[in-house]
Amino acid sequence: MKNKNKTFSIERKQARWGFSFTLPCLLFFSVFSFYPIVNAFFTSLTNRMAVQRTSEFIGFDNYIYLFTKSNGGFSLMNSMRATLTFTIGTFIPMVVISLILAVFLMQLRHPKSKQFFQLAYYTPAVLSSVVAAAIWLILFDPRGLFNQFANTLTFQSGHDFLWLVNNEMLQASTMIVYFWKYIGYFVILFITGLAAIPPAIYEAATVDGSNRWKTFWRITLPLLKPTVVLVSIMAMLQCLKTFSTQYMFHQGGAARQPIDVITMNIYFTGIRNGRLGRASAMSIILFIIMLILTYFQFAVSKSDDVEY
Amino acid sequence: MNKFIGKHTVGEIIIWIFLILVLLFTLTPIIFMFTASFMDPRQILSMPYSWIPSTKFFTPVTLNDCTGTTIPRTFLTNFHKAIYGNNNNVIFLRNLLNSLIVAISCSVSTVLLGSLCGYGLAKFRFKGRTFVFMAIMATMMIPFEAIMIPLYMVTSSLKMIDSYRGLIIPFLVSAFGVFQMRQYLLTFPSEYLDASRVDGLGEFKIYWKIVLPNCTPVIATLGILSFRNQWDNLLWPLLVSQREKMKTIPLYITKFSEEKQTDEGALMAVALLASIPMFILFFTLSRYFLGGAAVYESRKG
Repeated sequence: MKNKNKTFSIERKQARWGFSFTLPCLLFFSVFSFYPIVNAFFTSLTNRMAVQRTSEFIGFDNYIYLFTKSNGGFSLMNSMRATLTFTIGTFIPMVVISLILAVFLMQLRHPKSKQFFQLAYYTPAVLSSVVAAAIWLILFDPRGLFNQFANTLTFQSGHDFLWLVNNEMLQASTMIVYFWKYIGYFVILFITGLAAIPPAIYEAATVDGSNRWKTFWRITLPLLKPTVVLVSIMAMLQCLKTFSTQYMFHQGGAARQPIDVITMNIYFTGIRNGRLGRASAMSIILFIIMLILTYFQFAVSKSDDVEY
Repeated sequence: MNKFIGKHTVGEIIIWIFLILVLLFTLTPIIFMFTASFMDPRQILSMPYSWIPSTKFFTPVTLNDCTGTTIPRTFLTNFHKAIYGNNNNVIFLRNLLNSLIVAISCSVSTVLLGSLCGYGLAKFRFKGRTFVFMAIMATMMIPFEAIMIPLYMVTSSLKMIDSYRGLIIPFLVSAFGVFQMRQYLLTFPSEYLDASRVDGLGEFKIYWKIVLPNCTPVIATLGILSFRNQWDNLLWPLLVSQREKMKTIPLYITKFSEEKQTDEGALMAVALLASIPMFILFFTLSRYFLGGAAVYESRKG
């Protein structure tokens, strides 16, 4: 009886220690994650401004306003369009090309050269996004390197592609910067996925007389499908949160309207114009979009496990 | 792929061409940054771009100290301009220091708090453990961009605007850090812990003396990750830092690029200087950049 009591108390003591170890983080997340998101929701139902301390409850007026009005030329609809174009225009090429690169890298015979390419592709990701945007601002200058490069590709000379001026080109420019910065990172994700496929399967395929092309479509891709889906959603989530490139380009003189992504609109509405209520409503909309995507990510990563 | 040794197929040549083209695409802008930071702006925007800095293009630089004196240009003029700024204050160094302070404190605290919590979740049984874990995981779904406005209101009501506390405290620990530490520690042999308990070590001492020293790989990965996130952070300092001396490097670069007197060479010099800490980390610890962390890392954006 005495013994039993003792083990019982040791267990309780242990439990108390375990809980107290998690307590600092729990408190932290309560104050800096849960409280703000709840707060964001309640603020989005008010007309709170940065300057006045008073705010009134106005129900869903902010949301109705955002979906129907132009918000001084920078409407939510435009931001949705900008974010969506950017996301689709970036993540599809990124996933496709990084997958091709990863498959190609796996074919290299020397581990050294494989390592070198991985490292080199990854280098842009080491630069901060602001630095990346600064470099590309100069590359996209009318007399910059990228015009020369594009001219060589299209066999012209002296043609200005208006990278930072033309609406469509400006959007394409932000996509190029993002693509350049993160391609190496996604190559590594795919290489991790490819390395997990046991070589025995490939050997069996070769024995059965399959060529490399067939092996890729019939074996590699189906086995890699969960990784592809997962990486695509990750890439989409990341693209939805883009801010630095667009902000830096805008500050560098580019027009805001074509590249006014949601995060930038939140920043300008909430901080520059001080409309905290309206900005919170936008935040909640962004949160819901990302929540849906994250849900898909979890659903995919749970259900689609491949067994080799 | 041993089976292809000795055969240079057409496919292989295509592979090499493709790999090298992408290599050129990724490295050209970086090489551009290096070379342009030594050049006169006239040379940077001359067509075609000459890759080697040359004295041929050098034009004297007008000093921005109201006297209008000009000095001859050297290869280091851009860096001088980068450090002294356009109005001859050395705020760049202060901003660099701020960035270092914020990034280092955040990575140290992420490692410490993350491992403490991860250890608690991985190696102790207590009521509500699953709930705590799920709650922390749930915060991963809340993007920073969606809570920055209320977070800004919280920080301003705590009087932390425009201070190191305001820059650091919201990033003390990340849910991803807790998750990674927990996953790593799940495989940590409990026998060690029990043996230490028998030896009479206190619970906190066990964490500090046994658990922490045995997590080096995950500590390195996590430390680098949060260092990098903070070094890269533009959005939060944009909200919190108001005085020049509280700004961080991304803000400095944005401001510097907006100024009229900034030329392309000086901008590239600033960009290069701001990248040096990351380059040092990358080339000394590249395996922690490329390693297993990659898969989870992206969840943070």
